[in-house]
Amino acid sequence: MSTGAASMRKLITSNALSMFGLLTVTLFLIVTVAQIASSGAILPYSAYEPNYPQSNLPPSLSHPFGTDLLGRDMFSRVITALPIDIGIPLITVALSAVIGIILGTMAAFFRGWLDEVLMRLTDLFMAFPTMIMAMAIAATLGPSLVNVTFSMIIVWWPPYVRLVRGGVLAIAAEDFVSISKALNSSFFYIVRKDAIPNVLPTILVYATFDVGSALLTLSTLGFLNVGIPPTAPELGMMVSNVTYNLFLYPYQIIIPAVVVAVIVAGFSFLGEGIRESLDVKLRPHILIRSKPAKEIETNTQ
Amino acid sequence: MIALRDFLPYLGKRILGAIFVLLGAMLLVFFISYVLNPDPAHLWAGARATQKTIEDVVKRYHLDQPWYVQLYYFLQSYVTGNLGTDPQTGKSVISEMAFYFPNTLELVLVSMVMIIVLGIASGYIAGMHFGTKTDHAIRIFYLATWSSPYYLGGFLAILVFSSYLPLFPSCCMYSQTLAPINHITGIYILDALIQLNGAAFLSGLDHVFMPAAVLALLDFGLVARIMRSSILNARWSTHVKAARAKGMAEGEVRRNHILRNALIDTNTITAVTFGFLLSGTIVIEEIFAWPGIGYFTYKAIVSINYPVLVPCVLLFTLGVIVANFIADVFYSLLDPRIALGEGGGAEG
Repeated sequence: MSTGAASMRKLITSNALSMFGLLTVTLFLIVTVAQIASSGAILPYSAYEPNYPQSNLPPSLSHPFGTDLLGRDMFSRVITALPIDIGIPLITVALSAVIGIILGTMAAFFRGWLDEVLMRLTDLFMAFPTMIMAMAIAATLGPSLVNVTFSMIIVWWPPYVRLVRGGVLAIAAEDFVSISKALNSSFFYIVRKDAIPNVLPTILVYATFDVGSALLTLSTLGFLNVGIPPTAPELGMMVSNVTYNLFLYPYQIIIPAVVVAVIVAGFSFLGEGIRESLDVKLRPHILIRSKPAKEIETNTQ
Repeated sequence: MIALRDFLPYLGKRILGAIFVLLGAMLLVFFISYVLNPDPAHLWAGARATQKTIEDVVKRYHLDQPWYVQLYYFLQSYVTGNLGTDPQTGKSVISEMAFYFPNTLELVLVSMVMIIVLGIASGYIAGMHFGTKTDHAIRIFYLATWSSPYYLGGFLAILVFSSYLPLFPSCCMYSQTLAPINHITGIYILDALIQLNGAAFLSGLDHVFMPAAVLALLDFGLVARIMRSSILNARWSTHVKAARAKGMAEGEVRRNHILRNALIDTNTITAVTFGFLLSGTIVIEEIFAWPGIGYFTYKAIVSINYPVLVPCVLLFTLGVIVANFIADVFYSLLDPRIALGEGGGAEG
């Protein structure tokens, strides 16, 4: 299942869903990187300095997201929050994928008791409701960005182990792996050259979708004021700090929440679109989808 | 359907498996809380506790004992059902959980019914209209709602349906002007129904509708997504082609060959969704002032109230385990091959 860069590009652009996702994700990533690289110089206004005469202004051309109680520009505040709101989910998912690749290939290759122990442990961790467990751990460790990332990873890795193990088991049965073994290749060689390249596409698709879920959990932790330090800019926390303004200045609550939803949607649409384009079974139906469904059924017999 | 003599051993095996997972989860929670808290007495007693209070806490929760003795007391408390007292209210933890839990159950069950109806219907329609505008519209809708955080859904619902169009109340489980009703099950609308109290029942429904609908709208995407992809899997499969080739009526093909097959996969994801719903109750109960276990757990988490927090986390875990168990049993009823295994011998 090797997909070159060119065919990958075709897969993404052929699907409106993944196109929207790609554009959104790229846009937010560029803004995030620019915000980090310029350390805030790209902001139209200061995100922290109060400006009382301008307080609680509704969205307008000069303040596209309005201003808050202290007169700070909400647009600048939202951008300040992006490094945390996009960075922590990316780190969580990336490290979970690494844990999944290590433990999953170990379970699939060594089988026996190691496989049994790892999979039972994975099952146990999966039985916990992720959000509650992450909240409990983050609250115990105390508020800090490192702690909140750590508590997210603790609940986030199990699906990756399962995914990798399943993928590697399927590959291990293939001829090229038995040949590689017969040639006396080392375990690490097989993992590096055979296992990882073959499970990577599946992991990437799942992880793309998953960054969105991680952001939902993170911003909910922020909304509930658990784990994230009060001074760190975070979108969920921004919402929870002004909930008393819901009826007076609803945009102060709705706008940061919608930004979270748009970022999550970007990652989900991208992941979902790629997954669908990769689905071999659906491919013939996608290529001729301009025709009515009834016709497709008879055409693909 | 499968024979009872094949089903009972399977059921026993599943129950045993669920008990082991619960036991493992208890051990894991114990060790996580043990490892994460180098100085639990200080954490539990609070930052400004006196030396005397800390010593009391140490003695009461056996914190000066080695870990295996603590583990013994921990397991003993769950076996005897004596979970101790809530240090913040002085009430027994079990009685507090028994008060809050049915309220959450009401919210989650109503929401679950909405999710099943919405998810299966929209997934079926989208799958049967694959590639058309209907399909795209449904898909974009459920992906968008799935992407929304619970607080966005909750606040938007309150803003639009309680403030701009005052249709539904934004707070509480029932109208505060109504006379209180007797507790039988603890689930308010069920109690009202049993006692034939029409006013209380309607008030309960009115209050549960919005929070349950928000939960359902934000979480039905998972069910709809799996339903849609299983419909796509089923509708072009060989056995459906064969059924059509036999000249089977289209309605029958759709009902018996496409829908039924798709429901088998959807069943599992419904259990997963239940876990999401439980997590979602924390935010939704906070926003709608719903006195449920999510709200209770949240308070315990924020105040790092371990004697309450640990049983609550385990209760949520039990909820997920039970949901998975029910899904497994349904799975075996829908797909007889699963339960029979090698020993069943009834396979054709």
